[in-house]
Amino acid sequence: MILLIVASISTLYFVIPAVSDAAEEPKTFLTHTGLAIQTTGDIIDPIGYTGEILEFDPESYLRDFDYGAVSELEDGTILREFTITARDDQVMEVSPGVFYNVWTFNGTVPGPTIRATEGDLVRVHFSNEGSKSHTMHFHGIHKAEMDGVFENVGPGGKFIYEFYAEPVGLHLYHCHVHPVEEHIAHGLYGAYIVDPKEGRVQADELVFILNGLDTDFDGENNFYGANTVPFYYQHHPVEISTNELIRAYVVNILEFDPVNNFHLHGTLFHHYPAGTDTVPAGFNDMLTMSQGEREILEFEYKYPGLYMFHAHNTEFSEKGWVGSFLVKDSEKNYSDET
Amino acid sequence: MTEFSNYKIAVSAIGPLILLAIVIAFLMGPATNFLEFGIVLPDIHIEQIDFVDGEIQVIVRNTGPIDVNITVADVNDRIQPAAIEPDNHLTKFETALVRIPYDWNEGQPYSIGLTTDDGTRFEKFVDAASLRLEVNTELIGFLGLIGFLIGIVPIMIGLLWFSFIQKLGSSKYRFFLAFTVGLLLFLAFDAIEEASEISQSHLSDIFNGQLLIMTVTILSFLILFSIGNSLIKKSQFSKISKPLAISLMIAVGIGFHNFGEGLAVGAAIALGQVALSTFLIIGFAIHNTTEGFAIAAPMARTKAMVLRLICLGLIAGSPAIFGTWIGGFSYSPFTTVIFLSIGAGAIFQVVVSIIQYIREESENTISSASIISGIGLGLVVMYLTSIFV
Repeated sequence: MILLIVASISTLYFVIPAVSDAAEEPKTFLTHTGLAIQTTGDIIDPIGYTGEILEFDPESYLRDFDYGAVSELEDGTILREFTITARDDQVMEVSPGVFYNVWTFNGTVPGPTIRATEGDLVRVHFSNEGSKSHTMHFHGIHKAEMDGVFENVGPGGKFIYEFYAEPVGLHLYHCHVHPVEEHIAHGLYGAYIVDPKEGRVQADELVFILNGLDTDFDGENNFYGANTVPFYYQHHPVEISTNELIRAYVVNILEFDPVNNFHLHGTLFHHYPAGTDTVPAGFNDMLTMSQGEREILEFEYKYPGLYMFHAHNTEFSEKGWVGSFLVKDSEKNYSDET
Repeated sequence: MTEFSNYKIAVSAIGPLILLAIVIAFLMGPATNFLEFGIVLPDIHIEQIDFVDGEIQVIVRNTGPIDVNITVADVNDRIQPAAIEPDNHLTKFETALVRIPYDWNEGQPYSIGLTTDDGTRFEKFVDAASLRLEVNTELIGFLGLIGFLIGIVPIMIGLLWFSFIQKLGSSKYRFFLAFTVGLLLFLAFDAIEEASEISQSHLSDIFNGQLLIMTVTILSFLILFSIGNSLIKKSQFSKISKPLAISLMIAVGIGFHNFGEGLAVGAAIALGQVALSTFLIIGFAIHNTTEGFAIAAPMARTKAMVLRLICLGLIAGSPAIFGTWIGGFSYSPFTTVIFLSIGAGAIFQVVVSIIQYIREESENTISSASIISGIGLGLVVMYLTSIFV
């Protein structure tokens, strides 16, 4: 009898969930398939990200290019000076409620998009304010001692990287300290663009760094994204116009997964591997890239509306690497009609 | 004088407790920071996953040392928007219901994942999704029938051996009593094994499943041992004969066991873990027939009273019906582990009673060949029939 009583009481204790004090008016959220669900509790939905708490703003990152402090040398060469600081102690809210220790160049993941013109002298004043060694390894043509591989910059250390911007194209930079996978997975990377001297055709230019976050360190990404924050551009579509040339600088810096890809809805793009050639490698709506590969994409939209872009590896897209273009009718189009 | 010594006794009893309280207060108060070293990791445990119309419902408990927030829900490692009630903040031991709207497919395996605020993903697998059972008369009838088939029917059939055992000579009778001991010993270890399996796969580590099973089994043994002893003592002065008292205790012990077994079977149906095949029912029937034999054996030296036998059969078998109902409609692994352990303790108590009885029947020896071979054969028969289950 005593056993029965003890058993039933303990059963009640463990079966009935502890009652909490929250239970206000119901909230509503939408599922992937558009169903409206009501709940008296909290909504856990990475798509409904408001971005208010974020220090990093994927919206402005898209079109934010760092041209450096420009001056002219005696021989007429343009000098571009950049100041880059590495840190490894920041905790960033990478998805609503999920906090992850990011390692950063200038405080963000990805780091700033460094942009120069072919032949410019690029001088990067690098300082390491982290607790580990870090470097900056630029892709491109430069002297061995400027490669950022063997000259580890220890905590509190400084280094000046100096090289001429070549060749023309879309490159990248990242930390090259061993274990490199760890330094990249934590966020030490960014895009490096070298423009041709004669410039490129005027376009609405966007940067997409395809990356992932292994927040529980099991060697698999928990989240995928373009410019870090999962589902961000899905909820905040990138606004562009019809009949306007869009130039997307797409860099794949994903760790743990050997390939990533980019699929565009509603139109096709010309793509230029590493942006080094003027002849497009193809006209497609699918682009597959391995680790460290990057491509320049050029496209236009004929019709206005909401168009998705995402990894066609749907595992990645359903874990955050998905976004939308909100294509608006361009004024030019209106004037043509009237 | 007496007051003084009582006071002294009270102080000597409570004193250490007060000191312990002071130490705890010191550790939790001024010394908190002093003892903070090492890395504290959050831990959550997905206790239950239910599939309802267009939704997957998950009950999660915070089993770690610190508060956590649940931030992401996923199905098969694909992130899904979801709701969490009452809220996403879980204090230690607190549970919450996560509702994931999802168009799931019947019979398909799923992995359900939840991610905490530090980005750690916890997951649990479901072998085959099936609609959570809703209470209705049809289902009550169905589960009741299952309970009837695995509990009452085989035990009643087993009881029919009564007249056979009655006709045996005393040495053969001892053999069959010993055979019963073998059956019951197997049943007890079977229950403990099943309880550990359930605690390992469904209970969070925080409950210390193995120790819980041991504690409940021994408690159950001790309590039923004292009840059984007084019942047998009383039988000397009342109409209840000693064999009947032993049979009653066996029936009660087996009843607890069958209740636990019923919970597990009901839960298996509800959770869609098994297709409860005819084969499984046959297995249970064969296995549980031996339970009827165990009840009948000690009584074989008394007059056959059909009503009494039926009553004992019902005591032992009917809990299986209640078990399948409760297990089917509101499964709790914790309850199942508790009842399986109670059953194990109860059966150990019965084993002790029968051995005492055999000893009296056979002039204080339990090492005769018939008894040893009986126990051995009982274990072997149970093992062989358990293969069907």
